[in-house]
Amino acid sequence: MSSESILSLRVNGQPFRRLVPAERSLLDFLREDLGLTGSKHGCDVGDCGACTVLVEGQPRLACITLAVEMEGASITTIEGIGGPEGPHPVQKHFDQQVASQCGYCTPGIVLVLVALLRDDPQPSESRIREVLGSNICRCTGYTKILAAARAAVGAA
Amino acid sequence: MLPFPKFDYAAPTTLREAVSLLCTPGARILAGGTDLLPSLKHRLFEPSLLVSIRRLTELREWEMLPDGGLALGAGLTLQQLSGLPALALYPGLQEACRTVATPTLQGTATIGGNILLESRCLYYNQPVGWRDAIGGCLKCDGSVCHVAPKGKGCYAAHSADTVPTLWLLGAQVELVGPLGVRLVPISALYSGDGLRPMLLQPGEILTRLLLPPPGPPTVHRKLRTRAAIDYGLLLVAASRSQSGYRAVVSAVGPAPIEVRGESPEDLAEAAFRAVQPLGTHAPAPTWRKKVLRVEVRRAAESLKEG
Repeated sequence: MSSESILSLRVNGQPFRRLVPAERSLLDFLREDLGLTGSKHGCDVGDCGACTVLVEGQPRLACITLAVEMEGASITTIEGIGGPEGPHPVQKHFDQQVASQCGYCTPGIVLVLVALLRDDPQPSESRIREVLGSNICRCTGYTKILAAARAAVGAA
Repeated sequence: MLPFPKFDYAAPTTLREAVSLLCTPGARILAGGTDLLPSLKHRLFEPSLLVSIRRLTELREWEMLPDGGLALGAGLTLQQLSGLPALALYPGLQEACRTVATPTLQGTATIGGNILLESRCLYYNQPVGWRDAIGGCLKCDGSVCHVAPKGKGCYAAHSADTVPTLWLLGAQVELVGPLGVRLVPISALYSGDGLRPMLLQPGEILTRLLLPPPGPPTVHRKLRTRAAIDYGLLLVAASRSQSGYRAVVSAVGPAPIEVRGESPEDLAEAAFRAVQPLGTHAPAPTWRKKVLRVEVRRAAESLKEG
């Protein structure tokens, strides 16, 4: 029983070891301690999906995950998926379909789609919509996000 | 940004140690955390210690029982559970798992956590500033129930999606505590008091969910504003056997309510008479009561067709 722990984990393939307080969220750990600001604070209570990261390849909401629970885990953030120099196919299709407006929800949406297409390379329209139910976008009305997701099917 | 309050954390490796830590005053168990951790951010409660089930690997196991039933570890996520091939024999439960929140949350939330979900209310599940503005409520930081100011208690609604169908299936939970192990039917787990909705003893951990062998199928219906994220405005499970129809209705009070009938219409009327939705949700209670009749009838009719 303790108020802080030494946390060892891998983020985007790189090992890290840090002292974290019990009440540190994974999101704050990534953003404040590691400087990885691609994962966003949105609602901060697990509704909106802006903070989504992959833990052992599975989407997880970093704002309602304690950093200490991630001992030994392997985490992928949007920074580990791809950047301007080498975008992931899902990111490329977001760009081509102009599926981002303010862009705040984009990292989370790209991550859930990357995980979906890895497990199910040919998802049905209803499956894509179901999975995108995990993430809220307040700009686009989802039409272009769905177009990017459909275009990415088979390309990811 | 909403910070967590301060607390201590422990991740025991044995159930025995976990039970002993949970006997610490102010301790709470942490499973998927999808309801607990937002509640902490809203300061609905401030535990001194969180006891994580992360290292209790036995809570993520499952097995087929000799009688053909299933024993499911309480730490299985809703996604793991609904993905088990054996769950296809329990279609109502599979559907209930898949209607919880969102796919991302189903991958984190556990079946044990869902069964023991804290009761919910429009006046309770709100940020601190919102609650302060109305002087809190009976369940947190206040002395008045805004749903029933002249009532005798707290009416926060039981909202666990999987429970109505588990109730109809005759499922039991295994509880391990400082005094030993006990089995409790799901239908005997809820007190009917919104302040303390679960009949758990201090230090008890829900370790396994026991399903009887597959019987008559159950159906699950969830009424909600959006097709994702939202908690249910009404939860209805129904089943049919030779002796007639049964339904369990939830999101209408601190505990689910069971009703019986001879036909879908009869069952719907029984539910309409037995259940009085309250102002625990944003839509008008009179509307929810009318829709309840429709939801129960549709649930029962879908069994008729199958």
